[in-house]
Amino acid sequence: MLIEQCAYGNRWRSVTPAAKGLFALGAFVAAFAARQPAMAALVAMLVALTTVAGAGIPVTRFLRIAVPPLGFLVLGCLSLAYSLDLQAENGHLAMIWLPSGWAPIQQLAARSCAALAALLFLATTTPMVDLIALLRRLKMPEVLLELMVLCYRMLFVFSEALRDTRTAQAARLGYATPALTLRSLGSLTANLTLQIWQRAQALNIAALSRNSDGAFRFLEPDYANTRRDVTIAAIAGLLLIGLATGMP
Amino acid sequence: MTTQTPTMPLMSDSGISRNDDVLLEFDEVGFCYPDGNAGLDDCSLRIMRGSRNALIGANGAGKTTLFQNANGLLRPQRGVIRHAGQPIDYSRAGLRRLRSEVGLVFQNPDQQLFSASVREDVSFGPLNLGLDMETARQRVNAALKAVSMEKFADRPVHNLSFGQKKRVCIAGVLAMRPQLLILDEPMAGLDHAMRSELLAVLDDLHASGITLLLATHDIDFAYRWADRIHLIASGRCTAAFDAARLPDNAAALASAGLPVPGLVELHRLLAARNVLPADSAPRSIGDLIALLNMTVKECQ
Repeated sequence: MLIEQCAYGNRWRSVTPAAKGLFALGAFVAAFAARQPAMAALVAMLVALTTVAGAGIPVTRFLRIAVPPLGFLVLGCLSLAYSLDLQAENGHLAMIWLPSGWAPIQQLAARSCAALAALLFLATTTPMVDLIALLRRLKMPEVLLELMVLCYRMLFVFSEALRDTRTAQAARLGYATPALTLRSLGSLTANLTLQIWQRAQALNIAALSRNSDGAFRFLEPDYANTRRDVTIAAIAGLLLIGLATGMP
Repeated sequence: MTTQTPTMPLMSDSGISRNDDVLLEFDEVGFCYPDGNAGLDDCSLRIMRGSRNALIGANGAGKTTLFQNANGLLRPQRGVIRHAGQPIDYSRAGLRRLRSEVGLVFQNPDQQLFSASVREDVSFGPLNLGLDMETARQRVNAALKAVSMEKFADRPVHNLSFGQKKRVCIAGVLAMRPQLLILDEPMAGLDHAMRSELLAVLDDLHASGITLLLATHDIDFAYRWADRIHLIASGRCTAAFDAARLPDNAAALASAGLPVPGLVELHRLLAARNVLPADSAPRSIGDLIALLNMTVKECQ
């Protein structure tokens, strides 16, 4: 929901998703093309700064969104920092600290941070609706787009159903003890399974009533200044790549 | 004491007087669900072009089944459904034409809305009709304007209120330019303000020439709003009468388990005490107050 709020409430909401996607793509390429970890870290900082200062995403909100993926990154780095080694002489397992030195960890951390910043830039400035429209324009297979549309919409319908059912169960002491919690979660799952099936059937009927033949066709939104914004995004993306690769 | 019936819309039966042909007709239609439940049982109904119709019945009476038959989602096993005088053609092309002319708005908006944004969802029907992007865009804009939702065009559906979702559902069907708009309990779950807003939308649609058929439990609302009232019970249309003649159909209402509107009772009482003329029959509180004011002025 935090991402959703940012995507709809940022300064660049009305900028064409093509421009934002292009800039994010440039940042991705820069992240992987960076010759030095320091360069990748610089790309990460610049993209994060663009998101916060340019698109107007509050720093605290940006950091809250970034914390969970950064947690996974820390775990990934830890797995590189330690290595288990089976010692041949006594058959014992030994833990080796920094088997390959700091370099791969720095590389991984810096590149991942830059790629994460690029992804968060796109996610926090572009609503899912616009992203789907952009992917449609990029000729992504219809079946994948339909899945995305339905999953996105159903996410909110079912989170509401889940919340309502949980509240109703809690109001009747459904989560008072661990045993009751387990039982309630079981009935919640059963109930939601049935609801999903009923909802799918109802949606199909509603779609048929509007002449659906199976394929989803939707209108694409219009954006002002598309050409200007795409040009700016392309230049910014190229500058990032140039900076990362150390080009003059 | 002399009283005069006010010349107000309260007595009008605009739809029927405006145009007299039948837009949709159910002729002894029977429909049975695969599990054996009878949805419709020798149901006969006529919807006149340009009229406002209220279908009243208890839960499980067959209202939704009737609507789904009217839209071609269900096919009756007995009887005939005619649209614009012709039996429904259940071929792919026939259903396509029928569904563009008979629009159905479902009771639960979350049942109907499945696109991520308002504009996308409203465009679903027009694009299914094979319209080009530009025509579809124009229709979407016009439909959103008709339900006063143009400002919300780029909003995600889940950020809308219940009432706004209902209006988007109506826009989604309106964009297909139907002649007949069927609404399954449109007032359910709406607060007073939302109901008023929706009512204004429906009045505008009717003024633009669209025939309306809606299901409701609210007899007071049906009496105030509709030109024709149809009663349904156990899958059968038990009675149909002009809303203005509702006071004369108390027996039909009672057999369908419905009370006579409070306004009718009050008017009867006032007429019995010679405060108001017996033939005035106001259809809303506003009409009644206007009638009383007029009577007071005449007395003065």
